[in-house]
Amino acid sequence: MATGRLRAVILALAAASAIAVLSATAISDVYTEAQRPPQTFLTHTGAVITTTGEVLDPIYQVSEVEFDPDEYLRNFEYGRVSVHNETGQTIREYVIVAEDDLVQEVAPGVFYNVWTFNGTVPGPTIRATEGDLVRITFVNNGTKPHTMHFHGIHPAIMDGVFEPVGGGGGQFTYEFEAGPVGVHPYHCHIMPLEEHIIHGLYGVFIVDPEEGRAPADELVMVLNGFDTDFDTENNFYAANTVPFYYQHHPIQIERDRLIRVYVVNMVEFDPINNFHLHGNLFYYYPTGTDQSASFYTDMITLSQTERGIMEFTYEHTGKFLFHAHKVEFSEKGWVGVFLVKDSGTGEEEEEDGGGGSDGDYNDGGNGDGYADTGESSGAAGEQARDVTGPAAAYDGREAPDGA
Amino acid sequence: MTDGRRPMAHEQGRGLPGHGGSAGRLRVAASGAAPLALVVILVLYVSGPGSTMLEVGVPLPEVTIERVDFVGSEILATVRNTGPIPVSIAVADVNDRIHPAAVEPDARLERYETAVVRIPFDWNVAEPYTIGITTDDGTRFEREVESAAPALRPSGELVALFAVIGTYVGVIPVLIGLLWLPFIRRMGRQVYVFFLAVTVGLLFFLALDSVEEAVDVSQENLAGSFNGLMLLATSVVVSFLGLFYAGERLSGSRGTGDGRRAGEGDGRAGSGAPPQLAGPMAIALMISIGIGLHNFGEGLAIGAAVGLGSVAFSSFLVVGFAIHNVTEGVAIVAPLSRKRVAVWKLAGLGVLAGAPAIFGGWVGGFAYSPIASVIFLGVGAGAIFQVMVVLVRWIGRGDSSANGSNARGASGGSGLSGAPFAGGIVAGMLIMYVTSILV
Repeated sequence: MATGRLRAVILALAAASAIAVLSATAISDVYTEAQRPPQTFLTHTGAVITTTGEVLDPIYQVSEVEFDPDEYLRNFEYGRVSVHNETGQTIREYVIVAEDDLVQEVAPGVFYNVWTFNGTVPGPTIRATEGDLVRITFVNNGTKPHTMHFHGIHPAIMDGVFEPVGGGGGQFTYEFEAGPVGVHPYHCHIMPLEEHIIHGLYGVFIVDPEEGRAPADELVMVLNGFDTDFDTENNFYAANTVPFYYQHHPIQIERDRLIRVYVVNMVEFDPINNFHLHGNLFYYYPTGTDQSASFYTDMITLSQTERGIMEFTYEHTGKFLFHAHKVEFSEKGWVGVFLVKDSGTGEEEEEDGGGGSDGDYNDGGNGDGYADTGESSGAAGEQARDVTGPAAAYDGREAPDGA
Repeated sequence: MTDGRRPMAHEQGRGLPGHGGSAGRLRVAASGAAPLALVVILVLYVSGPGSTMLEVGVPLPEVTIERVDFVGSEILATVRNTGPIPVSIAVADVNDRIHPAAVEPDARLERYETAVVRIPFDWNVAEPYTIGITTDDGTRFEREVESAAPALRPSGELVALFAVIGTYVGVIPVLIGLLWLPFIRRMGRQVYVFFLAVTVGLLFFLALDSVEEAVDVSQENLAGSFNGLMLLATSVVVSFLGLFYAGERLSGSRGTGDGRRAGEGDGRAGSGAPPQLAGPMAIALMISIGIGLHNFGEGLAIGAAVGLGSVAFSSFLVVGFAIHNVTEGVAIVAPLSRKRVAVWKLAGLGVLAGAPAIFGGWVGGFAYSPIASVIFLGVGAGAIFQVMVVLVRWIGRGDSSANGSNARGASGGSGLSGAPFAGGIVAGMLIMYVTSILV
């Protein structure tokens, strides 16, 4: 009977220790790393946080995203330019390559399978003058069929709907006369359409009027979003893909200088999006098709692929917010800042001799975008592109390869 | 184990003549260890470095927000990686709006590793919040808090508050229930059986209550990878068998046949020579332990409810628990009614059953852990089931002892076949149900 007692005690002890171990692992947290000294951060909402760990704040992350919103903002692809021997028509040739297997950091720390035209979301901004012949050699290096469907006026065969281009190197040449004047989206039109759009197969197509527009600092903003967990709701919103990017890196513009924003809404799932500008109002040209503004306002509402041209000039220097006034979107990343500066020397009419070195507009991701005043007048000066001249004026500054 | 091996070795020794006893044992040990070694080799081969042959399918990340605390002007979310692969926390949000945050100790979580996400946020008391965490692959996980309440931090005041609550909810009601002892003592055999059966009914209700509570906790707060239901089942069975075995050894070390005789003897208030822990006192002690474990779980639930802000703890709730728990005192004294018991022993039993509510309150309020809750509730349920078995056997002894005087099968039988037994269980469960509505 002594062994019986002993066994009972052993069993009870074993049960007790098992319970103790289970409880201990459950209650205590498993830390695998030694703690770092506490650091203090100022977050973009103004809250101060002191932590021994890491900070989750798109504002304070060094951006390592493959796509550079600063470069995209002022980059226009004019194609490889030639002139038709007989008619004298300007021909702009592009090569656009579709892929659907890239995984990119669409927000700091968040990786998502993007489907791309020429490797980025949005795809390149294709720009031509009304009446130019646009010739696009489309190569599908993806695994699924894709197309390019342009909003605009073109033959049925060039509509990119009934002519799927197979993956693995399939090709199609889209050729049409640029028109009408305005700002238009292009996107893949393979079913299921929503899937092909939300993964990133879209871009902007700008058609300039033959007589050009007034000189301005020109910007492209695609309002887009990402549903990274596939629940048919966007997890992130942005102007130009990366959430909070332009709040982190304010867009530097000059006081008293005309700013022209080509804005295209590509947000899916949510029926509307909008654009609100602080400390100013803008002239708005829906679709950019009309030479006279339809509205003078600080707030426009945009449905799917609705787009237009905004023109404004700041009288005051300083930081001015722009964001979706559907505040949910702005709190998920669709928010930015214009940093308005004095032009300095005042001579911003210099001709652009830079040959389209758009990388200069990138402030180098220096963390706040406030400090590098030295570059700004040069960078902005480069914007003084002559858009009033004839179409031929573009030829001197075309993008090197159109791809 | 040694018992189990010995006959096997013996048999083997017989089957293979010429082998000595120690060599045979070695063989048995080897034959037992060989499959284990093969399992280890299999695991190493399949999951070891360089083995890619079984990498099919896409493992999906999963994180669980185990608790949310509201402290000052911060929301703290305790996050655990409960998926099959390591993850990094990329984004924190409040009500589906992205907010800057800090994550301690760092954003990368190995399997089952935890981190605390600190979100600066001026939250409002009593408003509901949904806290979201997005991992590096863009998947968002969320947890809803019905009503934000300031997190409890251990302080002398709060420790005292939980002690007071535990005393009101656990200790005092149980002690009050014990005062029914003189009343039960004056009743005849049938009423005695009735009250024992009431106790069985009460305990059955409490055990089911514990199980239900544990199921709730595991479903609401425990990630699927912890197998909450099976953890509960294991806890119940381990607790039941452990206490059953220990109880048999301690109270009935002479075996079942002797136990019956001892029971008869105790029934006549100490005419035999019962060992110290045998008979009614042992049963009462085990009931106290079982109810104590249950009340610990109840204290956990109360403490956690207050701590997590999901319940506005009111005097009404205290009253409900108190009335509910008075019945637990009855359960303890019922088996003692045929025995003379020192008052201090009785009080000791009451404290043993009631005081764990205080400790449960502290643990639940200050260091809430869903896993620990499930385990404790399961252990409590197992303990109560064990006590029920002991009680039913106790009543069953009445059957055989009563056979001499009462005709078997008579409607007025005083054992398991009698009306008092069935009626008592029904009454016990009804009492518990009605008082539980107050909680």
